[in-house]
Amino acid sequence: MSIFAPLSIARQALLAQQRALQVTGQNIANVNTPGYSRQTAVLTSIPPEGDAVGGGVRAGAVLQAIDPFLEARRLASASTLAAATTSRDLLDRIQGTFPVQGAGIGTALQEFFAAANALATSPQDIGVRSDLLQKAETLASQLRASAASLASSQRDVDRQVVQTTRDANQLLASIASLNTNIRAAEIGGATANDLRDARREALLSLAKSLDVHVVEQPDGNTNVYAASGVALVLGSDAATLTTVNGPSGAALDGGTVAQVAVRQGDAVVPLPGALGGALGALVDIRDQTTPAVGADLDTLATTLRDAVNAVQTDPAGRDLDGSVGAAFFAGTGAADLTVALSDPRGIAAARTANPGDNTGAQALLALGDTTLAALGDVTLGDFFGALQAQTGALARTADEQATIEQTVSNTLAAQRDSVSGVSLEEEFTNLIQFQRGFQAASQLIVVSNHMLDDLLAVIR
Amino acid sequence: MILGRVTQTTLFRELTTSVTRLQRQIAQAQAQVSSQKKLQSASDDPAGAAAANRLHGEVRALAAAQDGIGFGNAVLSAQDSALQQVDSLLTRASEIAAQTTSGLVTPEQRQQAAAEVAQIESSVLSLANTAVGGRYVFGGLATGQQPFANLDDPGFDPATAYSGPTDPFVLPIGSGQTVTLTTPGDQVFGGAISALDDMRQTLASGAAPTASIDAIDAAAAGIREERAAIGGRMTRLQDRGDQIDSLTAGARTLVSGIEDVDLASAISQFVQLQTALQAALAVGNKLQTSVLDFLQL
Repeated sequence: MSIFAPLSIARQALLAQQRALQVTGQNIANVNTPGYSRQTAVLTSIPPEGDAVGGGVRAGAVLQAIDPFLEARRLASASTLAAATTSRDLLDRIQGTFPVQGAGIGTALQEFFAAANALATSPQDIGVRSDLLQKAETLASQLRASAASLASSQRDVDRQVVQTTRDANQLLASIASLNTNIRAAEIGGATANDLRDARREALLSLAKSLDVHVVEQPDGNTNVYAASGVALVLGSDAATLTTVNGPSGAALDGGTVAQVAVRQGDAVVPLPGALGGALGALVDIRDQTTPAVGADLDTLATTLRDAVNAVQTDPAGRDLDGSVGAAFFAGTGAADLTVALSDPRGIAAARTANPGDNTGAQALLALGDTTLAALGDVTLGDFFGALQAQTGALARTADEQATIEQTVSNTLAAQRDSVSGVSLEEEFTNLIQFQRGFQAASQLIVVSNHMLDDLLAVIR
Repeated sequence: MILGRVTQTTLFRELTTSVTRLQRQIAQAQAQVSSQKKLQSASDDPAGAAAANRLHGEVRALAAAQDGIGFGNAVLSAQDSALQQVDSLLTRASEIAAQTTSGLVTPEQRQQAAAEVAQIESSVLSLANTAVGGRYVFGGLATGQQPFANLDDPGFDPATAYSGPTDPFVLPIGSGQTVTLTTPGDQVFGGAISALDDMRQTLASGAAPTASIDAIDAAAAGIREERAAIGGRMTRLQDRGDQIDSLTAGARTLVSGIEDVDLASAISQFVQLQTALQAALAVGNKLQTSVLDFLQL
């Protein structure tokens, strides 16, 4: 063996400890970087070459502490959490259309029938008649306001669909370009740890927008597919998501809604099936929940219109001038319900030639307690109560779901920290450990130097 | 959650999560305490919201019915007071009939008595036109044209004196119940007016009003029957009014149970949450301790 062997070992050791210190430094520097995965320099001893003792130490690959199964679960959890929180926010807005405190459709309906009771008590009183018309106007305007609020909420959701789709495109492009960079960086056999972290973060952001299936290729590429199987990223190629106008009249305001589609060459193909993620929740609430609530509101408005008009235009009914009554409400739904009657004398409170008769007013009053077939055999008030409770129950369920998903997400984040997170305590002890190693290797050089000095002194 | 390694990020994330959750709960508790309503939106209690909606409807409907009952009471009192006066007037007419039937009374005296009977008849007609707030209590509660003609109207005829509605006025008193508030005026006063008119004409002719004694008594009996019926209606309204008060109180109690905050428990909940928040923040303060404090690098 050579006298220079200890020097060579010391040199290798200095390099290896330096490398390990460099990795520790990178970990410490990135302690707060989102998505950063802890790295470790793998130190291996150099095997002996025709000698019993080895050739020192070598810093090999720099490994990332990653649990691929945990990462897959985080990706899925990001989609469901984004869907749940999006649903919660949107359903809370929908239930806000029907406040439980203060004025609303329910109160207006009750006051309308209270005014009908006053009319049944004083059918000839112009003041009472005007009050009934006023209460009817309040009721109609509450219905119109709720319908308008639903329609504008749906329009906002539609804009969010377009915006989220645009945002997803940037992520798709970024993932495709990271694929290219990772492949290039890893050609030499190295692992592009930090680029992979960036790609995982981009995938997580993308999963918030829509549910994705991720397939890691042996060459370092990650291919991304939508839930329906449509390819979004293949290697360096990213698909472009876009939106196309759906059928006209699909929205509550009569306009079109945007459908998420993928551009394939010159063709634009709508993405089939459920999208998942925030987009899935947005589309679901825009196309299912909001129209259903709108339809119930329309049913309430048209049933109210028909029932009140039937009493008002009864052939036996007489207004204050002895004529058969004209229609009370007009309109085709909640959005355009108006009070057609403008003259309080026109209310057909009587059913005989005697203007003091209150039989018509009694029939109007009785409507409040009548179960109506058009509403599924409940009263107008109970139908509204059920609609209000239903939107409340949807919001409550969504809130509970979002809380659960948040807990799941927190647990997964903590588990990821446990595997991949940087612990400063750990890094500082490593720092000391490698520093000591570096010191010891330096000492080895000193000792080897002394040995050489001693040997040269013999010759001199 | 069982973790192998715990990092600073884990600790701080746990802290942030706890503090955020507590602050959200505190905001809810604060909204409850300040508004004293635990039902802030339907999602707080969907079934309760539906029940509260229905109960509010009941309270409003009952209040409207109670207003009607108040008016009904005023009408019935006016009817009763008018009929009481008619009853006394008929008693006086009955006395006159008894006095003027005697053979000792001269035709001149009978003609003088006819003038008093005319007064009585006129008063009865005027009482029959009693109105509450412009609404004729014996004329189907209609306004406008008075239901009974005046005695000095040309061509006055007891048979056609009543021109008001022939249907009774039915008052809704809530929950689909009704009370008949008026009897058509001709049914109430028809007997009295025709008996008085007969008597007046008989006396004016100087003849003895023999038949009128029974006729007037029969009319008075009819008026008393109507008064008894009115008394029955008043009792019915009174009972229904009491019932509405207790139903309203019951509904309000139920609504309060759904909507209102139990202030004592809400405040103690609020304080409890604040204590928890302070504890979480205090623990967060201690998280600053690190290995750095103990290593001399």
